[in-house]
Amino acid sequence: MALVFEFVWRLLHALLHLHRTLVTWFRSHLWKWNGRIWKRAVAALLVPIALGFPNHKKLAPTTGKRVGRRFRFGADGKALEKLPLHVGLLIAEEEPRYSDIANLVVWCMAVGISYVSVYDNQGVFRRNNSRLMEEILKQQQEQLGADGSKYSVEFLSNGSDKQDHQVLSCQAVVKVLSPEDGRQGIVEAAQKLCRAVEQRERAAKDIDVTVLDSLLRESRNIPDPDLVLKFGAVQSTLGYLPWHIRLSEFISLPTHANISYEDLLGALQSFAACEQRFGK
Amino acid sequence: MSWIREGDLNLIERISANILKAGPIPKHVAFIMDGNRRYARKRQVERQEGHSQGFEKLAETLRWCLRLDIREVTVYAFSIENFKRSKDEVDGLMELAKQKFTRLLEEQENLEKHGVCIRVLGDLTLLPLDLQEVIAKAVLATKTHNKCFLNVCFAYTSRHEIASAVREMAWGVEQGLIRPSDVSEALLSQCLYTSNSPNPDMLIRTSGEVRLSDFLLWQTSYSCLVFQSVLWPEYSFWNLCEAILQYQLSHRSLQKAREQHRESQALQQLEADRSCVAELLQHRSNGTPVDAQSRQEALHSYTASREERVRHFLGALQHKRDTFFSDLCSPAVVA
Repeated sequence: MALVFEFVWRLLHALLHLHRTLVTWFRSHLWKWNGRIWKRAVAALLVPIALGFPNHKKLAPTTGKRVGRRFRFGADGKALEKLPLHVGLLIAEEEPRYSDIANLVVWCMAVGISYVSVYDNQGVFRRNNSRLMEEILKQQQEQLGADGSKYSVEFLSNGSDKQDHQVLSCQAVVKVLSPEDGRQGIVEAAQKLCRAVEQRERAAKDIDVTVLDSLLRESRNIPDPDLVLKFGAVQSTLGYLPWHIRLSEFISLPTHANISYEDLLGALQSFAACEQRFGK
Repeated sequence: MSWIREGDLNLIERISANILKAGPIPKHVAFIMDGNRRYARKRQVERQEGHSQGFEKLAETLRWCLRLDIREVTVYAFSIENFKRSKDEVDGLMELAKQKFTRLLEEQENLEKHGVCIRVLGDLTLLPLDLQEVIAKAVLATKTHNKCFLNVCFAYTSRHEIASAVREMAWGVEQGLIRPSDVSEALLSQCLYTSNSPNPDMLIRTSGEVRLSDFLLWQTSYSCLVFQSVLWPEYSFWNLCEAILQYQLSHRSLQKAREQHRESQALQQLEADRSCVAELLQHRSNGTPVDAQSRQEALHSYTASREERVRHFLGALQHKRDTFFSDLCSPAVVA
């Protein structure tokens, strides 16, 4: 009997994987055709996703219309009921695509989001920091053109946090994060506090949330993300800033590959509709 | 109004359960039971009734979990932030909790039969004393059971938990039990309220909200997060199956990520030990170079002594926590 159940289970998972693969394939190939019949067919295919896994946002077709979009960014940002201060881009996919991430960063800035962080759980972006920076600057030129000079981007890598002098004239901040900024950051703060206790500079009983929080802000001044956009099929935070995400809204998108501005805007609109009660 | 609803699944449910069990099943599931008040509004009943229905659903869900071989469940019953609610609602919730824990004490044989161990996690000193006493009795009464575990987070937020873990480690340093260099991710994990449980494999939040609301932020870094739009009192067996299916789809990637994290943790610990040893040898040898053999031996002995220190400290911490509960139960306190 157990064998029958196992067979059915394998069949079920094979079907789910097939479904997922088909949808990804349709998305990347057939949307370009723009034919109405194809759109309807794919919409029908996507319905099971909507039924089965309600949290995944469906991706809109990439219209490819760049003309006139430059003027929309600011207006779109103002049209939203609320805009996140800090958006975390959590890339839970195996192969990061720098141009797509750069697009996302540039669009976020253009819409009015002042702090964008980019994270992956293997520290790939941390290691390729300069490549990401180049890509972002390039996209900034392409997407925003003449307006691009209005937005100055500040790249914060780990060392430079300690000096605050860059903060003066920047419009937006891009920070690259890795798992070291999460749990390890908390452990470092804990070690500092324990050393202070050992030196009799502090009593153990005085350590509370406020003390730990301010110590964490001192070494890595990262504002709490209001919105975390997660890209990839894996449903997990994968070690992203555990202390900071206590009230973050998580919006999942299937992939960051070929992501369009409309997809980002859709996610921001969902965020604007979220209601926070803060425990009350 | 029992903690464990008797009654079994119907045929189709049993078949589905058996199919799911052919694949990986989470050993520990955490629930954010959200949506009681919206349910009450929807049904046009009192809020208190919504919370009561929520408790009923918890009992039913525990039954399903046991049937699916999920041995450990952690639930977010009351957040420290919830103290901000109206006095009436907070008092109502405290009263409901007291009723349920008292009922639990009455059901001891049933709990023993199912081997249920109940733990209550949070800053219990924030609760009314009579509730604290009932909780302490319930926790001590089920302490030795080990077939399945229910962790109820009451007066809990994750940040408070992490801060309290740091405070305990600082206490350890103050008492001379451990050194600041012994502080690591692993040690912090063992100082959290959840130290006796493995990290949750899956976290489910109902009612459509897509945030963690300060729940198990440290422990769920590599867990499968499932957000479902159903309101908690309307949660069904099929919702649970859907969540497990999601878990099974993410299982391999999460295992890989966890493995990578474990490896990097081990590496970090080794590096930390090495640098401590290097410092020690520097002091001892006064600048003369030490050969690789001695360095290796020193590393082994340092690691062994660090592990011994940590073991002793964790024993003292456990004793402190046990004493908190037994003090609440002792007649001296009541008098």
